[in-house]
Amino acid sequence: MDPLFGHGIDLTIVLIVIGKTLATFVVLLLGVLLLIWYERKLISDMQNRIGPNRAGPYGILQTLADGIKLFFKEDLLPEQADRRVFRLAPYLSAVPAFAAFAVIPLGGSVSIAGHRTFLQLADPPVGVLFLLAMSSIAVYGTMLAGWSSGSKYPLLGGVRASAQAISYEGAMSLAIAAAVLIAGTLSTHGIVADQAGKGYLRGLLPKWNLFTVGVVPVVIYVIAATAEINRPPFDLVEADSELVGGFHTEYSSVRFALFYLAEFMNTITVSAVAITLFFGGPNGPEILGLGGWSGFLWFLIKEILFLSVYVWIRATLPRFRYDQLMDLGWKRLIPVALYWLLLIAALRVGQDQGWNAALVIGIGIGAGALAWGLLGLAARTGAEQAAEDALGLGEVRA
Amino acid sequence: MAQYLPLLAMLILATVFAGGSFLASGLLAPKRPTLAKAAPYECGIVPDREPAERFPVRFYLVAMIFIIFDIEIIFLYPWAVIFRQLKGFGIFEMVLFTVAVFVSLVYLLANGALDWGPAKRLMATPTVDPAGARDPRRTSSSTVRRIGPTGKEAA
Repeated sequence: MDPLFGHGIDLTIVLIVIGKTLATFVVLLLGVLLLIWYERKLISDMQNRIGPNRAGPYGILQTLADGIKLFFKEDLLPEQADRRVFRLAPYLSAVPAFAAFAVIPLGGSVSIAGHRTFLQLADPPVGVLFLLAMSSIAVYGTMLAGWSSGSKYPLLGGVRASAQAISYEGAMSLAIAAAVLIAGTLSTHGIVADQAGKGYLRGLLPKWNLFTVGVVPVVIYVIAATAEINRPPFDLVEADSELVGGFHTEYSSVRFALFYLAEFMNTITVSAVAITLFFGGPNGPEILGLGGWSGFLWFLIKEILFLSVYVWIRATLPRFRYDQLMDLGWKRLIPVALYWLLLIAALRVGQDQGWNAALVIGIGIGAGALAWGLLGLAARTGAEQAAEDALGLGEVRA
Repeated sequence: MAQYLPLLAMLILATVFAGGSFLASGLLAPKRPTLAKAAPYECGIVPDREPAERFPVRFYLVAMIFIIFDIEIIFLYPWAVIFRQLKGFGIFEMVLFTVAVFVSLVYLLANGALDWGPAKRLMATPTVDPAGARDPRRTSSSTVRRIGPTGKEAA
């Protein structure tokens, strides 16, 4: 709960809210501007070329130039398109991307005009659920954009996108639930506050959820979130070698710019969520002379590291094939995430109740092995079944 | 409810930003539509049929299976917040619920509902007799026509 709203609302508080909203908005847009430049520059370094270097020092204004250029480009409306939905889709993609960033804690608490407030736009009691809801709504933007274009490639891209996004949403939600389990709250500020204090190994390791829940949910979250925002190696939605531009093939001008913007805003948000849930958010040793603002610096450092990893992944890994993608999501990530969640919960309750830890772990491992074996058996049977069906169909056609 | 006020402000600001961008583009951008520009993109070819209205049933299946897991997740979140107060009873109930969902996943997998793999993998690959496939008279010197640096065949 943000202490700003502790004593009713007056004009100053409304002004502070408006100021904070504008500040968050500008931070996010600036972040996207710099991220696109950083990504292009870093990838070109990795691929042994120069990258953007004309607009501004080191080409840092390239994104701005591209954005301004897009305003002067003709906005095409395909004749086959469903006009209303075609115009609605960019909103559905961009607005949730802005809103999701609002619940990210960017720093500790500071004083503005005599009011204590968090360095985060909003801290609703259901913060984590709000994030999940926004990521679900963003799927509509992609899907409707593909469907309403009235063209072949966008339709295929849109259908793929929605199937991919909902497949990985399960794994992502289960991984996030692990962080909720530890903190016992859905508020993002609460989850960060829970990770403060003395850590493990006599304070050598920070008390981050990364170490508390084990590495498994973190890895699952990062993979699933990458798939959720359609970044490489999960960018099947806009697989340019087979689907031209995917769901935004028919979009031009500012409408295309908004999709592009939303994609990079989602990248920033997803990294920020990972930091919030598993890497202690803006927690860190206080930097001298900065007071409450040192948290923001820590947040920035972690964010830049995380984004660099995302760019690195993009430069390194080839794209998945669609069946590999679906197999990874349903047959690996979801069962493992679910299993790990129940195991942590059982261990925690066992600790409280004084159950025999070895017994709990033993039962856990036994149940896990049984489930894994069953899953493998089912997958093999299913593959044979599918192959038989397909072969039968082949005979009829021949 | 005051905690949601900034979220509302952000939603309004984002909508205004998107709307403003469209407005600005409408004022700044040229408008010269032609038939070719308005046609569906098809790499330059005039499309001879409407976009497909039917696509593989597996996409629908995925959407339906997703609902099962979404329900599971909806029940997991409140439990995750208060699972310590629910103690052993909560764990037992959640394990029971998870087993029910897991069994349905196993059933779906065993039916091949989530199998997207290419079926060709299991088809018998045609066997080629290596001896018959290779003619001793066909070598790289007899099948490749050599041209020199001048681009003409050697006389």
